[in-house]
Amino acid sequence: VFPLRERCPACGGPVGRVLLPRRGTLWTWTTQGFEPRSPPYRPDGEFEPFAVGYVEFEGHLRVEGRLTESDPERLRIGMPMEVVALVRGDRVTYAFAPTGEAE
Amino acid sequence: VTEIAIVGAGIHPFGRHEGVSGLAMGVHAARAALADARVAWSDVQFAYGGSEDAGNADTMVADLGPTGLPFMNVKNGCATGGSSLVSAVRALESGAYEVGLVVGFDKHPRGAFQNDPADWSLPDWYGEVGLMVTTQFFGAKLQRYMHDHDIPALTLAQVAEKAFRNGSLTPHAWRTKPLSIEEILGAQMLAHPLTQYMLCSPGEGAAALVLSRREYLDRVPEARPIWLRAASLRTRRAGTFEVFSPSLALEIAPSPSVDAAREAFESAGVAPEDVDVAQVQDTESGAELIHLAECGLCEHGEQVALYARGETRIGGRLPVNTDGGCLANGEPVGASGLRQVYEIVSQLRGDAGRRQVPGRPRIGFTHVYGAPGVSACTVLGR
Repeated sequence: VFPLRERCPACGGPVGRVLLPRRGTLWTWTTQGFEPRSPPYRPDGEFEPFAVGYVEFEGHLRVEGRLTESDPERLRIGMPMEVVALVRGDRVTYAFAPTGEAE
Repeated sequence: VTEIAIVGAGIHPFGRHEGVSGLAMGVHAARAALADARVAWSDVQFAYGGSEDAGNADTMVADLGPTGLPFMNVKNGCATGGSSLVSAVRALESGAYEVGLVVGFDKHPRGAFQNDPADWSLPDWYGEVGLMVTTQFFGAKLQRYMHDHDIPALTLAQVAEKAFRNGSLTPHAWRTKPLSIEEILGAQMLAHPLTQYMLCSPGEGAAALVLSRREYLDRVPEARPIWLRAASLRTRRAGTFEVFSPSLALEIAPSPSVDAAREAFESAGVAPEDVDVAQVQDTESGAELIHLAECGLCEHGEQVALYARGETRIGGRLPVNTDGGCLANGEPVGASGLRQVYEIVSQLRGDAGRRQVPGRPRIGFTHVYGAPGVSACTVLGR
């Protein structure tokens, strides 16, 4: 389960921490063509459409996040992805980038 | 088996109604349902009702009359109307009452729904970064579904084209202008693969039903009952793919729609193949396709041929969302589930006017699904 919870959502028991691999594959994706309502969204400069998706980490789970690539023509289910840092204002969070694009 | 009848159905037009409160629309729908049933409000023994954003249903007694009846407020997300209906059915089945009213209404602000992560047990960063948007769930779930079942964007456009065509035949619908496949496909992309016209908008409206046990029909000889053969409500199980999920299991569990539909068909003793007219949740074009299969009304992937051949149109083998559904009526969350039942009652009675399904339909089905992973289904018959 992600993000970490105090209890297992399936059985109510204790949870352990597992470090996910950096690399996975794109399980599905979509685009955000309009600026999300704020709050809860924190704008970071002028709005530009972005993409979001779920990346599958083999043997673990699928995690939702923003993608660094927003062009539908360059996104396809099954493509390799990796975790990168996403800086928005004074906050740092994660995003997923097609592998090869990150460096 | 206790038999429950819908003896009255009423609706307030959907859309935008400046200066009319959600509660006032609910009162309008309740009065219309009572008039249709030839039942006086003073004879109604109990009521369930609710909205998501437009107030407490029980305050309607200020307009309808404070008769002292038990009036339960219901707030259960997208299944608010379905929850009221299921609760009323159980109350009648218990034998505690013979006749009751259910009402659903809503009035949402313009634009996309706005949700607070804290209300969903989610961390603040989830909303701040821009993931707290319902349309992302629709787009992402659909993108994968189309990939798995080989469904083209054209089929999505065919769903929307049918919705607006049916809306143009429906007096109480919001969107009444037919749109071409090209207009729908060419509209602004909001959540790939969904364009502007493939997504419904939050809106306003109300619907109400008067329900009774069979014995009560002697008291209302002029009513034209439609039998509520089954009403089921189910919530999600571990591992389903729901809105606002920061992570998903590798194995996706069947949606609560599958459970609710199966239970409704089994309880009614009716097979999905027997359905003559259906209403399924079409929050967006893809939802209609997914829900038809989840409810057992077609196979996964079969939708492409079904829509290409026009089989879900009025006059087709399985007419779906004959009033234009959420796409043409908008989504006032508390009202949509009861609008669906209102539409099936109209169709089974032969009252649906220009949108009437030919061939005197006998069996109807309704399905709602929504946040946070809840579904309600009904089977209705003449």
